[in-house]
Amino acid sequence: MDAAVTTVPTPAAEAARPGAGAPAPAPGGVRPPRAGRASRPRAARRENLAGYLFMSPWIAGFLLLTAGPMAVSLYFAFTDYNLFDAPRWIGLDNFTEMFGDARWRTSVEVTGWYVVIGTPLKLAAALGVALLLNQSRRGQGFYRAAFYAPSLIGASVSVAIVWRALFSDGAAVDRAQQVLGFDPGGWIGDPDRIIYALIALTVWQFGAPMVIFLAGLKQVPRELYEAAQVDGAGPWRRFWSITLPMISPVLFFNVLLETIHSFQIFGSAYIIGSQGNACGPADGTLVYTCYLYVQGFENSRMGLASAMAWMLLLAVALVTAVLFWSQRRWVHYEEGGR
Amino acid sequence: MRTHGTVDRRSLLKITGGSVAALGLTAAGCGGGSGSAGDGTVTIRYTWWGSDDRAKRINQSIALFEKKFPKIKVKTDFQPYADFWKKFNTQASGGNTPDVFQNAIGFLRKYDAKNVLLDLREQVEEGHLRLEGFRAGLEKFGEVDGKLLGVPVGSNSMALVVDEAVLAKAKVTPKPGWTWDEYHDALAKVQETAGRAGDAGPYGIMYLYDLYLRQQGKAFFTTSALGFTEADLTDWWTKAAARVKSGVYADPKKTIQAKPKSAVTAELAGSEFTWDNFAVRYTAEGKSRYGLAPIPTTDGKRTGQYLGSLMLSASKRTKHPKEVAQFIDFMVHDPEVGKIMGYDRGVPATEAQNAAYVPSDPVGKQIAAYEKQLVESRVLEPITPHPAGADVCEAAFLRLAEEMSLGTRTVEDAVKQYFTEAKTALSS
Repeated sequence: MDAAVTTVPTPAAEAARPGAGAPAPAPGGVRPPRAGRASRPRAARRENLAGYLFMSPWIAGFLLLTAGPMAVSLYFAFTDYNLFDAPRWIGLDNFTEMFGDARWRTSVEVTGWYVVIGTPLKLAAALGVALLLNQSRRGQGFYRAAFYAPSLIGASVSVAIVWRALFSDGAAVDRAQQVLGFDPGGWIGDPDRIIYALIALTVWQFGAPMVIFLAGLKQVPRELYEAAQVDGAGPWRRFWSITLPMISPVLFFNVLLETIHSFQIFGSAYIIGSQGNACGPADGTLVYTCYLYVQGFENSRMGLASAMAWMLLLAVALVTAVLFWSQRRWVHYEEGGR
Repeated sequence: MRTHGTVDRRSLLKITGGSVAALGLTAAGCGGGSGSAGDGTVTIRYTWWGSDDRAKRINQSIALFEKKFPKIKVKTDFQPYADFWKKFNTQASGGNTPDVFQNAIGFLRKYDAKNVLLDLREQVEEGHLRLEGFRAGLEKFGEVDGKLLGVPVGSNSMALVVDEAVLAKAKVTPKPGWTWDEYHDALAKVQETAGRAGDAGPYGIMYLYDLYLRQQGKAFFTTSALGFTEADLTDWWTKAAARVKSGVYADPKKTIQAKPKSAVTAELAGSEFTWDNFAVRYTAEGKSRYGLAPIPTTDGKRTGQYLGSLMLSASKRTKHPKEVAQFIDFMVHDPEVGKIMGYDRGVPATEAQNAAYVPSDPVGKQIAAYEKQLVESRVLEPITPHPAGADVCEAAFLRLAEEMSLGTRTVEDAVKQYFTEAKTALSS
């Protein structure tokens, strides 16, 4: 897209250029546009065409697999659709039913806790370990890989099954607690505690944001630390006044990514929580998408499930907007770039 | 220049047109599960829910069928119960229903209302499917409003599965006609002597509560609604909550974590209400000896029991109704199939298959004796109707009973929520 813009100057840009009239050779050795007003758009069109042609597999995929289904689901959101009978238009009934449904509110609450507790913990772990790994030390590459590995496998079904086994009655976590003198009897059967097993799973996958933090930390100029040290700033002070502001764009990026990611949690909640009843004892892991799945695929209420999906999209968009709005207060960009 | 431009555009059109056509072909290919080849060979699709063991037995039976009917090929697929209907619904809504599939009484009305089930009556009249030779009137079980929507493959009934060693130690011997009070006294004795709960807790099992209601002349469902009141359920769950607290019923936190093992085989409880054919599974799962005890009664006589059954149903959209009928006929009547399937789906539905399989293991003998006793003692009654939405009601019953037992909901709150959810499920 950028190439097309630079090689085909708009008439306005052309006029502004010194010596307009004779077309200047385009940068990068690209063939200069042909003289004559009529041929120029055609050449442009041909290049655009080629561009779109190259993009066509992606465009076809996007239209057929993403945009199309999304549009249909937006329509379903306003209908009563049970998969078998034709969808029946019911206006906003799905939304009013949703807000009046106690179980829906439970799912919002569970997801809220998961996001509000899990995301900061995960990012804190990622930043903490990234700070440790930022010092050059023997075997650093090994540690980096070791800490990163969980985020590659963490979302898999097998890890969720292992997690369920780890936190069950009489399993590793329970035994460890018994050694310390507690006997809670496993987290999986406890509706109040099972969510923490889920949060532990997401925190364990701090590797991905850690790698991004590491990249950000490497960008912080050494001189700043040296200058601060000369001025007598301790490590804590250097972290607050130099490291944190300097990596705040990276922090912002991670907060955004992980928050959105957390809202979409499904697989691990469904597997860790499922035991005949989907999504946990007493709805302990009834995260939003879990309830959406139950309504859509167990209760065959695709209209309601679609409405719930759009509600989630709106909520995530809202949270993202708030984060973007807030960044001007705490995100520091170098060189005045914003 | 102009020509050049048009050629480009045309080739673009060709390419896009080609890829769209290719996509269309793949899409069409997805639907092409069942069909007929040039030589007259017909392929039908058969799906069911169940364990790996059931799949092994069914595949052996199908090998026999394909030998006898070389022109019919059977493609199979199976899932665990919880996933089966999700996949089925998705396939059915896309017009891609399997030709034959396992079914149960709770789903007949639901899928009949959605126009999914084939009325097999016509195939019976044409002689491709025999309805003779069924035990205990089972051929009537798949009938809804005069239509034949399913053919039973086996019969089962609710029973109390017990750990025999534990019961012997507590000196408890359940007898037919024992009352709920006697049952709870027995549980208390088990709790004293065995150091585990008496029962896993019957409060969330819809089919058992149905029997309890039937003993009082009610039922879980009428043809279109719930057949009991909020007061009925409040009474049942209030007593249950007290028994969970006192430890007569097992700690739900423990039983949840033991899953997929049952509370009895995980040695958390001495007994559990479930379907009698599940005793096979318990024996494979646990270390002790497991037996079947009768359902407790209210008046010393009536258990409220009926025979339930797994069935085979056909899709209304099948292109091969005749072959499907021949397949169902073979699966329910062939003695060899009866031998292979055993009691996996309950006691075989037809006399021929039941005679062909003589259980040699103690559990199989127990199941045979249990159902024989049910038939002979004439406690069996007509089955409870299951309106569309019954499956959602069952899931909600299980879930809210669990919340009540865990104490995250009060009994009043759980009952109220249940009636709200059941109303929604039964009206949609």
